[in-house]
Amino acid sequence: MIGQGISIKGDVKADCSVRVEGRVEGRSIQCTDEVDIAESAQVTANIIAKTVNISGLVSGDVGGSEKVLITRTGRVQGNIIAPRVQLEDGALFRGSIDMNPAKPAGAEKAATGATTASRPESTDSGQKVLASAPSKSAASTADSGRKEPGLKLNSG
Amino acid sequence: MSSLARKFDSSGGLSSTGPIVSRQPSKLFPSLFKSIDPDHRLTVLEIGPALPETVDFFSQFKCRLHFVDLFSEAFVREQQARLSEKELRHAFEEHFRFPADTRIDICLLWDFLCYLDDAALKAFNSALKPWIHPASKVHGFGAHHLAIRVENIQYGIIDQETLSIRKRQTAQMSCYPHSQIEMHEMLSSLDFERGLLLPEGKLEMLLKPRV
Repeated sequence: MIGQGISIKGDVKADCSVRVEGRVEGRSIQCTDEVDIAESAQVTANIIAKTVNISGLVSGDVGGSEKVLITRTGRVQGNIIAPRVQLEDGALFRGSIDMNPAKPAGAEKAATGATTASRPESTDSGQKVLASAPSKSAASTADSGRKEPGLKLNSG
Repeated sequence: MSSLARKFDSSGGLSSTGPIVSRQPSKLFPSLFKSIDPDHRLTVLEIGPALPETVDFFSQFKCRLHFVDLFSEAFVREQQARLSEKELRHAFEEHFRFPADTRIDICLLWDFLCYLDDAALKAFNSALKPWIHPASKVHGFGAHHLAIRVENIQYGIIDQETLSIRKRQTAQMSCYPHSQIEMHEMLSSLDFERGLLLPEGKLEMLLKPRV
């Protein structure tokens, strides 16, 4: 668990569930099981896991090989890839959502946190598989030309 | 407040939504989903916020949903009258930064066009045009004269024949009614396919790319 008073600058990689209550700023949080972003958490990083539950602030792309849930207090700006995505009433989201109920998107890569690419890859079906991606790709600025629909972080 | 938190405050283009207050049946909406190839990834542009029921509805499809809540953007809400058509087009284009191979299959406008003045409507048309293809389908609601009351509401999708209605948490914007002839001139990339006059006087519209 990353507690409320803890601030991490860097990547997080775990073979077990991860609960974030503090701040994480880095390229990615990768987990083979569940990532739980608590209401007090602030994350600027991509998140890759089997299931992702977001109740706090996330600026980054999110990949869940099973499911992604944004709860009523969750605030997400980024792109989500998962077979199933669920928003609760009150959740805020900006970005794109890729869903394929028939086939988990990049299941193996998302679950094992493979870091073979620095940019999202396209599968034959055109779906993007999230690998470990630098936060720069998720935080593409508005003046950088047409790119993956990443984040538009305001400076300051 | 951290810089990350500031991004999500009310001025950051993301506004919270109220609960569902009513449901609205639609006879035209099912047309959007006729003959969908299950192997084709449906690409949807939603001009409103990401609502739970809308995301849940699309979970039955292989799809990519682009949520671009233009209703919450300052250049639409507050600055529209001060901006030139060129500036407005640039502003819309900034929000339509999709992957280069994106082609929108379904565009959900809701009543967004009611809130665009002439320059903004032309600018929106110009910005949207590169992203649609000959089989794209566009759905929206229009108001063709000032006497028609445009309520400050958000639409979501419950099922193919039923839309959800929520009260918008932000202030009502100025409305700009357009006649069908005006819309035809200013939305030069689209043609009317079907229209249905609703009891409250609004026009439910299905639009298709102009050949």
